[in-house]
Amino acid sequence: MTTLTQDALRKLVGEWIAAGKVCVGPVRVAAGTVLFTRLASADGLLLDGWLRPANSIKELVLPRHEPLYGYRADRNRIELLDPPETVPEQIAICAHPCDAAALPILDKVFNWDYRDEAYNRRREATTVITLACTASDAECFCTSVGLGPDAERGSDAMLFDNGDGSFAVRTLTDKGRAVLGEAGAQGGRTNPPPVRFDAKEAGQFAAGHFDDPFWKLHALACVGCGACAFTCPVCHCFDIVDERNGHDGMRARNWDACQFPLFTLHASGHNPRHTQGDRQRQRIYHKFHMYPEKFGETLCTGCGNCARNCPVGLGVLPLVTEIPHAEPV
Amino acid sequence: MSGTDAFSPKIVAYVCNWCTYLGADLAGTARLEYPPNVRIIRLPCTGRIDTNMVVKAFEVGADAVLVSGCHPGDCHYTAGNYHARRRWMLFRDLLEVVGFDMRRIHFSWISAAEGRKFQQTITEITEQTQALGPYRPYEAVPARPQCGTGASACQPAALADSPAQTQLRETAARLLSDGAVKVVIGYGARGPVFITSPEDAARLVWNETCFANLTTYLKRQEVRALGKPAIVVKGCDERALVVLEKESQVDRAEVYTIGMGCAGMGQPKCAACDTHQPRLANQTIASDGAPAAAPVDRYLELDLLLARSPEERLSFWTAEFDRCLKCYACRQVCPMCYCERCLADKNRPQAIDTSPHRQGNFAWHLSRAIHLAGRCVGCDECTRACPAAIDLRLLNLSLARAAETKFGYRAGMDPAAEPLVGAYSLTDKEEFIR
Repeated sequence: MTTLTQDALRKLVGEWIAAGKVCVGPVRVAAGTVLFTRLASADGLLLDGWLRPANSIKELVLPRHEPLYGYRADRNRIELLDPPETVPEQIAICAHPCDAAALPILDKVFNWDYRDEAYNRRREATTVITLACTASDAECFCTSVGLGPDAERGSDAMLFDNGDGSFAVRTLTDKGRAVLGEAGAQGGRTNPPPVRFDAKEAGQFAAGHFDDPFWKLHALACVGCGACAFTCPVCHCFDIVDERNGHDGMRARNWDACQFPLFTLHASGHNPRHTQGDRQRQRIYHKFHMYPEKFGETLCTGCGNCARNCPVGLGVLPLVTEIPHAEPV
Repeated sequence: MSGTDAFSPKIVAYVCNWCTYLGADLAGTARLEYPPNVRIIRLPCTGRIDTNMVVKAFEVGADAVLVSGCHPGDCHYTAGNYHARRRWMLFRDLLEVVGFDMRRIHFSWISAAEGRKFQQTITEITEQTQALGPYRPYEAVPARPQCGTGASACQPAALADSPAQTQLRETAARLLSDGAVKVVIGYGARGPVFITSPEDAARLVWNETCFANLTTYLKRQEVRALGKPAIVVKGCDERALVVLEKESQVDRAEVYTIGMGCAGMGQPKCAACDTHQPRLANQTIASDGAPAAAPVDRYLELDLLLARSPEERLSFWTAEFDRCLKCYACRQVCPMCYCERCLADKNRPQAIDTSPHRQGNFAWHLSRAIHLAGRCVGCDECTRACPAAIDLRLLNLSLARAAETKFGYRAGMDPAAEPLVGAYSLTDKEEFIR
């Protein structure tokens, strides 16, 4: 099955859904907004006409809200309720290379000093069918972080849009072959964005200019929301919360974001990242220095979602390209 | 009570300490019988009964809620019940738009002498709720996305290198070189910019991308630290300044306002705009174009939503709120959300679940909206900022219409008007209160 028409793909997706698999793909949720959404049927699946969804497939492995366990108290008896041992098979349809590459990057942090069961359970159940990019916009910069419009990293299968309502298919892993069969298409048209900055230089600047006025100056417009982190394919910080209702309750982990002042606020009232400049620096520092140093990977896939979703025009690319290049580190 | 198969409704009654609680007490000492389905929660005053508590009661399993306090004129604290009445008038409209079953929420005035009225009220509510059946929590509502209520926006005029832009840059440079202000908050090529030297004034732009409401920066400590600001405002943004001044958040003498005449930026709000010209700015730069058309009905989209049944509305909002990530972009860009610590960030008690699950998202969005009642100027920044494209505009519109039709009030229009929720009137309508 080296060529797959849109209709045939839709039919396959319908079959996967009918078989109880969780299918996630681009859906237009409002005029001008496409989001990766869990599909109730293949009808809403958007197979062309979008550049990239405003969110990412990260939710398949790290849901925005994940109950870790529940409890129920009945007089003196307390019952612990574990989450289900198995999760349904999940298939991401039409992820982009910048989504797919996020998963192997995330694998490292979730299997570093501790094997995160909840993450790995979902990761193992996830198959990623990637659509190679035929277009890019001014916010795309995958080529600046070592990826590209047909980078295979993290993908189980790759689709190439033939432009005639069909895809050329290349399956890359056993998971990919399990859903799409053996297919070895050579490739197809792609459109890489230009290399826009040097990721290593960005990391060096962040490491060497911790208290530089650069951060404060460039963070003035930041309003301190989590739109960048929550739509980022690789931002993975979370918060643990307890929620209860009478005698029942649960412990859950929810996404958290370094741009919130509350993220680092101590119980004493002291906040080590006191200003928004400190928080913006942290975001760049983590992505381009800390993570590479620890895991040998840039914590950024160049998708550009941060900049597209930022209500005030910030994001990784706008910030990093402002870094003064001539300055010695 | 609930162990059997038969449905027996749970009713939560938030009552004030001084009247209704004593009325309930009187019913007891007078041996008046009423159904045991009610859980009474005593609070100092109806003025203390946060709308959040009503939402919370339903979240934790109530089938109906009663809010009850002193008759008008009887408040132990003089006016707590008048303030409460006005809030409920607004809150009920919000619940209506969300598609909430209004037959499950009740308001009454019951005095310390009205033991019999308490008995009757509880009996009636219990019977009515019994007939309605159990409250269906959000979790049971099917999410039905319905794309776009679809009001058309006016087309923005291309404004690049306009005379207004030149004039704006000159003004900014002059203000900075005179030392009149330390920073000019304006629009740049990508978004907001903060100009601190006259040479940088050329970074300011005035074009069809200048739709953000910059007044939100007046609250930010990093911006305040720069010194006295000048701020670029459109007629619509200026309304936010009026509210902020009224709420003692901004001292107009300490902010220089550069008003920009605006023919519309192509946003949904622009089609209904009737404040194209700033009215109160220190200096106004005239618009380069004229509005393309007369303003359309500003509640058009709201009417389209209200034309649907309550069940459809609830399904619509369920689909909208299910997309919420709790990134709080809506709150952070809002000029009116200036609390140093938001209710959503407090956890003792946890009034709003922080989790972005359905219940937590409903609680958050209802709370956000009601806290902006009579304060929201309709800049739509929340809707624009939302990465999940949740149509928050419709919630704001419902409260704006409630304020306008019930109180003749539009936030930020009249600098002399008393803030809507901070004030009350003896003539506020109360036909919904038993």
